[in-house]
Amino acid sequence: MDLGVATSEPVAREFLAVVLAGFGNELVPLTSNHGAEPCPKALVPVGNKPMIDYVLSWIDQSGIKNVLLICPAIHRAAISHHVHSDLPTSFRVDVQTYDESPDGSTGTCTILRHFSSRISEDFVLLSCDFIPPPSLSLHTILDKFRTESGTDGSIATACWFEATLPDKNAIIEDWGSLPPPTPIVWEENTGTLLYIDSADDSDRNSEELELRMSLLSKYPRTKLSRKYQDSHVYVCRRSVLDLVKEKRHFDSFREEFFPWLCKIQYQRVKRERYGRMLIPPNDDGTLSVALNHSTLQNKLHEKPQLQPSAAEPSEPPSPTEADSGIEPASLRIGVVLHQAADGFATRVNTVHSLLDMNRRVLSQTTYSLPVDPKSRSLIDQKAQISSDTIVGDSTQVAERATIKKSVIGKHCVIGKMTKIVGSVLLDHCVVEDGAKLDGCILGRGTKIGAKAEVSRCVTQAGYEVDAGETVKNEKLDVSDWTALDDEDDEDEDDEDEDDEDDDQEEEEGKDESESE
Amino acid sequence: MSDSAPKEGQPLPSSQPSQKSMSKAERRELQERQRATKAAQKQQQQNQAASSSKSKGQSTPQKKTDFGRPRSSSSAVPKDAAKDASGALDSEGPKTRGLRIFSHFGLPKTLGHQLKGDIHPAIIRLGLQFSEFKICGANARCIATLTAFKSVIQDYTTPPQNTLSRHLMTYLSPQISHLVAARPMSVTMGNAIRQLKLEISGSDIDLPEQDAKDQLCSQIDHYIQERIIYADSVIEELAMNKIKDGDVILTYARSSLVEKILIRAHAEKKRFSVIVLDSRPLLEGKTLLRTLTSTTPPIPCTYALLPALPSLIKEVSTVLVGAHSLHTNGAVYSRAGTAMVAMLAKEHSVPVMVCCETYKFSESVMLDAFGKNELAPLKFSPSETPKPHSNLEVLDPLYDCTPPTCITAVVTEVGLIPPTSISSIPLALGKTNL
Repeated sequence: MDLGVATSEPVAREFLAVVLAGFGNELVPLTSNHGAEPCPKALVPVGNKPMIDYVLSWIDQSGIKNVLLICPAIHRAAISHHVHSDLPTSFRVDVQTYDESPDGSTGTCTILRHFSSRISEDFVLLSCDFIPPPSLSLHTILDKFRTESGTDGSIATACWFEATLPDKNAIIEDWGSLPPPTPIVWEENTGTLLYIDSADDSDRNSEELELRMSLLSKYPRTKLSRKYQDSHVYVCRRSVLDLVKEKRHFDSFREEFFPWLCKIQYQRVKRERYGRMLIPPNDDGTLSVALNHSTLQNKLHEKPQLQPSAAEPSEPPSPTEADSGIEPASLRIGVVLHQAADGFATRVNTVHSLLDMNRRVLSQTTYSLPVDPKSRSLIDQKAQISSDTIVGDSTQVAERATIKKSVIGKHCVIGKMTKIVGSVLLDHCVVEDGAKLDGCILGRGTKIGAKAEVSRCVTQAGYEVDAGETVKNEKLDVSDWTALDDEDDEDEDDEDEDDEDDDQEEEEGKDESESE
Repeated sequence: MSDSAPKEGQPLPSSQPSQKSMSKAERRELQERQRATKAAQKQQQQNQAASSSKSKGQSTPQKKTDFGRPRSSSSAVPKDAAKDASGALDSEGPKTRGLRIFSHFGLPKTLGHQLKGDIHPAIIRLGLQFSEFKICGANARCIATLTAFKSVIQDYTTPPQNTLSRHLMTYLSPQISHLVAARPMSVTMGNAIRQLKLEISGSDIDLPEQDAKDQLCSQIDHYIQERIIYADSVIEELAMNKIKDGDVILTYARSSLVEKILIRAHAEKKRFSVIVLDSRPLLEGKTLLRTLTSTTPPIPCTYALLPALPSLIKEVSTVLVGAHSLHTNGAVYSRAGTAMVAMLAKEHSVPVMVCCETYKFSESVMLDAFGKNELAPLKFSPSETPKPHSNLEVLDPLYDCTPPTCITAVVTEVGLIPPTSISSIPLALGKTNL
């Protein structure tokens, strides 16, 4: 074998992973600009690892080697730099951009239409904010799609996970409300997704769920539930993309197109109109002969003639179309349902879920002092760091600081006598002496002044809290920037409060005597 | 640590006293206990290593209690040790007790997620469909394999400094092993792949690559057409002549060929009725029943499970069964239960006709179905199947071997032959190999 010549890929690409990285409008102000620099949602860290890393490694493990990453044009540099800096060798990520402003509402369908020329095979549509549990492998979903699309004529497979609702007192209204749960109807036996109650449907009739009789006559034993949430992982045939292109009025894949796609399975008119486009008649001709001989399979097409035709010997007798009594391709949508008991999954697209996910990551880690002597030296002897925190590299922790149940990013500076409980600090934050943080999420480069008390807040990158301030339950934006930025502060005056957190109560148990 | 020299007949302390002071019986008990703990440790390792372990080590604590019982006075401690050992084993969580027999068939495997090397997507899908039993049956698997190989060959590019005839086979080998890992290879697949290898090695070096690939694909098509599709239609003719009006035909499970025969005979206006026998775990007879009754006018059918055979056999005029493969000594390797049907039919002097294409011939000799067999995956077992760590094990072999004495005739495309004369077939076909 001659190694000097580069050969093309030996194996045809089976799947292309399409990862959509949006603006993250739900995660504002974390995703608002840091001065002139954007903070892409995809790079918001969970457990000190940008969330896009989780998705990419999940894809890598399942064996898909080609990824098309679509992000807004202004995020391109940041994301591209991050993604390409640490890739395993055969994994290829192609970063593409589309022009969009944060206020514009380019739906995912529009994006897919735009890039449909780059997608030439069956694709997996993912969102950058899905954190998969270790027990769910993308392989499972892919295998289900592979088996079903070959034998049954299935067109797509989705994945829904059981969403655990947070406690009432953990929800903070000022951080935004949680999206309402969506009811779905599915069949347990074959794992078929039948009906998703889209936003349009619930607008039209908010009290009742309307189901077609054709659905029930085709699948008489179904289940209905509200406790599942869409993971935004869709494995689709290539022909689904053609359908997206044709239906121009659909804007969002998840909210509008996919519920509509589910209806094709059982609505006769839609099936007649789109069946051919989704599964061209000659597409599966090769496997249908084998399936007709298979002993556990019902015949897919009726044998048109019992005498062997004197056709040219190069093709097996192809079934004629439009025969009565043919069982046509089912055009099913498969679904993989992931139970909460098997592992926690979530989409970190709201501030609540971001905090929640960080907490879960913490419950699985134990803190140990960094081995690297340089980083080690930055962390003072007398700092009290509990074992369920993550502290990033090169972070400086001064003496008598107390850090519990938190995620601290890289290059942070934590001053003396500070108390940080249940918070998430992104990179480059500065917390000055005596400050108290409780259940906050601080954007990059946030500065907390000395003796400030901040609880349950989300700050934009580069925000500064004045010394001695108390802020609670707010989303803190930097309202205007001057050209000289960083040293400017914009104050928000807020009231005082005392709250005993759930976290704090738990902390008391393993609390060491805290200073101040 | 109590006394170091225990009196005979008393329970042994947990420490290790010197061996000389123990009686022979006590020494043996000590040895058994050590063996049991060692087996327990090995059991733990095994359970961690494999998801479905076949633990023969279970037999050791069992033997231990048996030994312990006759020596009742000093057996208190050994029994406790045995209970401890088995208690330790049980507490390791659900584990299979292991099959004492048929363990060499291997439990049904789940396809590993580690795909070594580049497996073509068509082969990946095919492997999944095999392991999920979506494509089941000797003919179906062979056709599906060959069609998948056609797409693999079309996507193949010869690396430079290499020839297609030499390299393509090494390229196909890992794909074939992937399919074998999904489900053990059938004789039909083996014969077809052997033929394919022959044709690849015989392909002309001077042909441009695309032409060589097209030639291979057309040869694959020829193989499917001639040896399966056309052979089936010839067999239909021959078998149809053996069906007369008013016959009651018995068939077992579902053979694609027998189904074709019955439908063809029905289309030729013969009036007969069919008894479809079926058995777990696959219950393939149900799909056959559906096909037979959906003809117009529907064929009168009776559906029964295998235990009902003795009461039905008296009404049967012919038995038609299919085969997975046919061996040199005339034995037929077919779905589990066929042997019973053939045997009972012979006792009642009912002719048994096995319908089998010539490409299903195998050159090996088969005397029984224990040397080579396959177990059905657990998903086909009824839902009341006992849990793995109970004392009941479910065993579902898929195939069995019908001896040649029970078979009246084999219907192949070269004619009706007695089962023992299959070795003369290659000469009849004019081929040097099967």
